[in-house]
Amino acid sequence: MYKFLGTVLLCSWLSLLIPMFLVTTIYPRDLLELHASSQTAQQFTYHSSPSEVRLVFFATDEQNRHIESIHRDDFAVLDNGWVIRNFRSFAHAGLIKLDVVLLIDASDSVRPRFRKEIDSVLNLISQWPWNPGDNVSVMSFRGMEPQMVCDGNCRTWFTSDHVGSLSIGGATPLFDAVTLAAGFLNGRRRPDVWPVMIVFSDGNDTISKASFTSALKKVMAGEEQIYAIDLGNASRPSEGTTILQRMAESSGGRFLPFSDGADRILSEVMDDLHSGLLVTYALPESTSEFHSVRILPTHNLNLQFRCRRGYYRPFSDGVRQEDVP
Amino acid sequence: MKRGLMLWILAVGLPCTVAGQIGMYQHGSVVRMQMGDCMLAHHGMMVAFGPPAAQVQDSCPEYTLVATNVVYVIVGKSSNQLIPLAEVIDFRLHRNELDVRVDDAKHESKFFIKEMVVRSEWERMQRHIEQQMKAAEVREAER
Repeated sequence: MYKFLGTVLLCSWLSLLIPMFLVTTIYPRDLLELHASSQTAQQFTYHSSPSEVRLVFFATDEQNRHIESIHRDDFAVLDNGWVIRNFRSFAHAGLIKLDVVLLIDASDSVRPRFRKEIDSVLNLISQWPWNPGDNVSVMSFRGMEPQMVCDGNCRTWFTSDHVGSLSIGGATPLFDAVTLAAGFLNGRRRPDVWPVMIVFSDGNDTISKASFTSALKKVMAGEEQIYAIDLGNASRPSEGTTILQRMAESSGGRFLPFSDGADRILSEVMDDLHSGLLVTYALPESTSEFHSVRILPTHNLNLQFRCRRGYYRPFSDGVRQEDVP
Repeated sequence: MKRGLMLWILAVGLPCTVAGQIGMYQHGSVVRMQMGDCMLAHHGMMVAFGPPAAQVQDSCPEYTLVATNVVYVIVGKSSNQLIPLAEVIDFRLHRNELDVRVDDAKHESKFFIKEMVVRSEWERMQRHIEQQMKAAEVREAER
């Protein structure tokens, strides 16, 4: 019995020693090649250019809870399919100033919920922990075109006293309003400002000159983030719901049903904006006008990342591409 | 007797584990990932002889994995089969498939091999594409 076990033991150790011998004789050469090759691989993956890409994103766990303790080596960016791990900077987006435009749907279709809608907007403005450099503007849309209610100074100006001056009724120029707000935010864009749109609407556009696609392109080109609050009937999702969802998802924002309640909406949006992360990297060389973007984990596959779907390549002189066909 | 058995298990198991961890795996880096056709994943009898419903078009992740001497284009078997995009990943070739070691999950993820290119050839192609793009950019700027 012991003789048999001894033979098995000898065979086993031989099976260990032979691979070990092979590994020790071959591995150093492979290691040298790998070291050299990893340097070569970098030549193809990482490029430098005068422009850079700025990406605000959010990290959550499998239960969709925000994770703030993310490090720069926990994720990689997929830019048009190319893996980018070499970042110029990585910071908490909560440190940047906010430029927020609140879009209020005042059309006929949301008339029954208009009072609640306004209360939510007032709550959002009064309860938000604004920083000194933050800007908030309010725009309402109804009838033929959108209208700026207050520009940048709404924290002090837009109070319940002024709400009475808002007209209600008429058609819904949602896409025109989004286009106008995107242009407005883009016009005063600075590198240290995070442009955000919070849209209160049922999503059912009835009269805009701009199309959904052109409005969304404008938002994507301006790198604005949309939080879409759906005023429609939650039990009967309409085409408007889908439109609002697409706007939010494409821009890296969120879709929230109004039926969740004003407090929940406020806390969700605030929580989101406070947990944002900002990464910058050199603009990859490419001839394509639009770059799709995605963020994926480098180690922990349970991490989930949310960001905008992509960006339009800026011109080489640094001027942002505005009128995308 | 019990001790002998323990020794035997240790002697047989240890070499396999050690060899698996240090010798069997090659190292590589994923440089590209895109969603592509899953048809490769559905190949075989079902596609050839099965009903049309079996030939459902789906999108699966496709990775370009740069190894020491060879560049592999590998395709996942389902739409959510992800590889952690770490700087260096471990993989091995096994029965015409490429098995990627997923560190945190402590398991291997199996991929179909779609293409294999000698690394020097792949690098030459990338340089060519890069030059073409630069030339196009210069033309664009001159216009």
